[in-house]
Amino acid sequence: MKAKKLISLALGALMCVGAFTACGDSAAPTATPPAAATTEPASNATEPPAATVEPTPDAPEPVQLSWAVWDYDTTPYYKALTDAYSAIHPEVTFNPVDLGSQDYQNMLTTQLSGGADLDVITVKDIPGYANLVNQGFLEPLAGYISSAGIDPAAYGGTLEQITVDGEVYAIPFRSDHWVIFYNKALFDAAGVPYPTNDMTIAQYDELAAQVTSGDGESKVYGEHFHTWRSTRQLWAVLDGQNTIVQGAYEFMKPTYERILKLMDDGVAMDYATVKTTGLHYSAAFYNQQAAMLNMGSWFIPTQIDKVATGESLATEWGIVKYPHPEGVAAGTTLGTITSAGVNPASSKREAALDFVKFISGAEGALVLAGLGQFPAVKTDEVADTIASIDGFPTDDNSKEALKTTKVYLEMPLDKNSAAIETVLNEADDAIMTGSITVDEGIEQMNTGVQEILAQ
Amino acid sequence: MPDPSKILKAGANRRKIKDHIVAYSFTAPNFIGFGVFTLIPLAFAFILAFYSWNGSPNQEMQFIAFDNFVKLMGDAKFWRALWNTVLYTLGTVPLTMAAALGLAILLNQKVRGRNFFRSVAFFPYVASLVAVAAVWNYLFSPTVGPINNLLHSITGLPFKPPAGGGMSLPRWAADPNPYVVMFTVVFFSVWKNMGYYMVIYLAGLQGISQDLYEAADIDGASKWQKFWKITLPQLSPTTFFVLMILVINSFKVYDIFINIFAGADNQLTDNSRVLVYQIYNTAFRDLKFGYSSAMAMVLFVIVLGITLIQFQGEKKFTA
Repeated sequence: MKAKKLISLALGALMCVGAFTACGDSAAPTATPPAAATTEPASNATEPPAATVEPTPDAPEPVQLSWAVWDYDTTPYYKALTDAYSAIHPEVTFNPVDLGSQDYQNMLTTQLSGGADLDVITVKDIPGYANLVNQGFLEPLAGYISSAGIDPAAYGGTLEQITVDGEVYAIPFRSDHWVIFYNKALFDAAGVPYPTNDMTIAQYDELAAQVTSGDGESKVYGEHFHTWRSTRQLWAVLDGQNTIVQGAYEFMKPTYERILKLMDDGVAMDYATVKTTGLHYSAAFYNQQAAMLNMGSWFIPTQIDKVATGESLATEWGIVKYPHPEGVAAGTTLGTITSAGVNPASSKREAALDFVKFISGAEGALVLAGLGQFPAVKTDEVADTIASIDGFPTDDNSKEALKTTKVYLEMPLDKNSAAIETVLNEADDAIMTGSITVDEGIEQMNTGVQEILAQ
Repeated sequence: MPDPSKILKAGANRRKIKDHIVAYSFTAPNFIGFGVFTLIPLAFAFILAFYSWNGSPNQEMQFIAFDNFVKLMGDAKFWRALWNTVLYTLGTVPLTMAAALGLAILLNQKVRGRNFFRSVAFFPYVASLVAVAAVWNYLFSPTVGPINNLLHSITGLPFKPPAGGGMSLPRWAADPNPYVVMFTVVFFSVWKNMGYYMVIYLAGLQGISQDLYEAADIDGASKWQKFWKITLPQLSPTTFFVLMILVINSFKVYDIFINIFAGADNQLTDNSRVLVYQIYNTAFRDLKFGYSSAMAMVLFVIVLGITLIQFQGEKKFTA
């Protein structure tokens, strides 16, 4: 019996070992050519095989960079950027690794933990950036930035906002800011004047109430709040007195009361309805359910495209600057950046750094602007390029709305950004569904975030 | 001259070894998969529960003994997630069993269109969760959903709670009351899964000997008596199996909650947070892999405990 057990154990172990070594063998480099190669006819030996063309001494070695991205197929700028770069550096080719947008951060972390062969990393947001820095998955770039002659001033302060203890780990290449999209046809039908580039929040709400009309299927909401927490909480930080990561949130009370009242009054769609029906903000705007929409400038190219394809019924539209609190300059708004960094484990560090420099620099900026995207480097040429895109609203206000006075990051950098965001999201949802009162929600945020900050 | 019996014995041994090799080669793919994807990660998670680690190979794992478990004791979010999971289990297990058994008994009769109705009952189980959850969310949407609009036209109750307080229609998945929220998801879960357990019960029902019912008929037993005295006791092994699988699955629930409750940020709140979500979130959002593993160990012990109790119970009842 014992012998039988021993045999079974040994065989089991053998099979496991066999399975692993089999993998190992297939991965092992085959340094020597197979013996069969020597029996090839002599005539074949004179033809140079395609793969063995020797590079000329001064031609650079071919390099393939793996770039971690999300939604590659539906996001045209990745390919536009790589094509533009390869046009200057034909020796560099790209392997975009699409990790999907929904779970990008987790997928990226898992890939990097497993030693995936990624060279360039797209950093989706600030909490993601903070986590990648904490985990040591981004190459420090401060030294490179100064040696490569990159001017930090060109980034409108965003580079400073992602600096951790004097070190920076990624360079922003896209920088979007929040604006108000509005449907001109709905304003015309209601006989209400269009929004302007200098509105206080109270004036904006007043305008929204005026343009609200109808009932049931034909209901038009004056303004719309998407399910993201940022569409609500960030109004409260526009005065520059508070930040979203400070651990004391009493300052948000008037904002929540204002938004809940707008929803109670039917000026904005009820949060529970937006959430349970899974209504996307774009659909609310395309289907003319919302006369005004507070959203990031990333929606501009999408709206232009959907008007062209006939999917968006909001064919007459414009943008204006974000409304501001009383006493705050017009053009004060919120921003979000997308940046790119380099994997410290990359064996193609030099090429990866050069590509990051390209996409975040003036050349990459023009490629992005040509597609209606907002690059991190903002110049007059960039603004003109975006405003001249076919389909961009032709009124002066819309062009003017592209300029900002002061931009606060949606989520300022903190090593605990990701954990803080979780607490804020949970409390926000509970307040908006009425599970807890505004005061209870604020208390929940205070306690939760202070706990994180104390760690 | 070699001993013929020894030759025969050696031959038999070789055949035996050969048989073993063949048998192990058949089980190897499954065993290797189990080892690589279950056993090793499970062992690693168990070890990780005693460490502090942010999931990065660049950070060293720090041994902190039982600190994670001590912290767990005072973690309100963890307890709330555990409580919600228990509540969901208490709601979903008996209701799913009752619905599945009821359906199985109904569809075990010789009724017209029996196969059609069996398919109808089984359909929600095979339908994509993402798709049916979206449909349910729309049906039960507080203001635009057909359910509340129907209730509104019947009862005249308002869609939103009146400013001064008073009755209003339930807001289902977005209701302020945690029990309404839980009811909504239990209702969905029962509807989604009852078809699967119905099939198991049907198999159980068809395994009951008709002789027992004939004997009961001769003794003049009523339908109710036959159900209590024959059907239910004969089904007890099936019932134990269903109970065990349902309880374990309820403790492991994640997908249904994410699809019913999570918005654009993929997060659950106090009213809907369940244990597996909390484990996932702690590991992948908060980057506390050690702490998250400690939670996973608690879940493991709970599921193991329930399984052991049920095995004992099964032995007793089916003996």
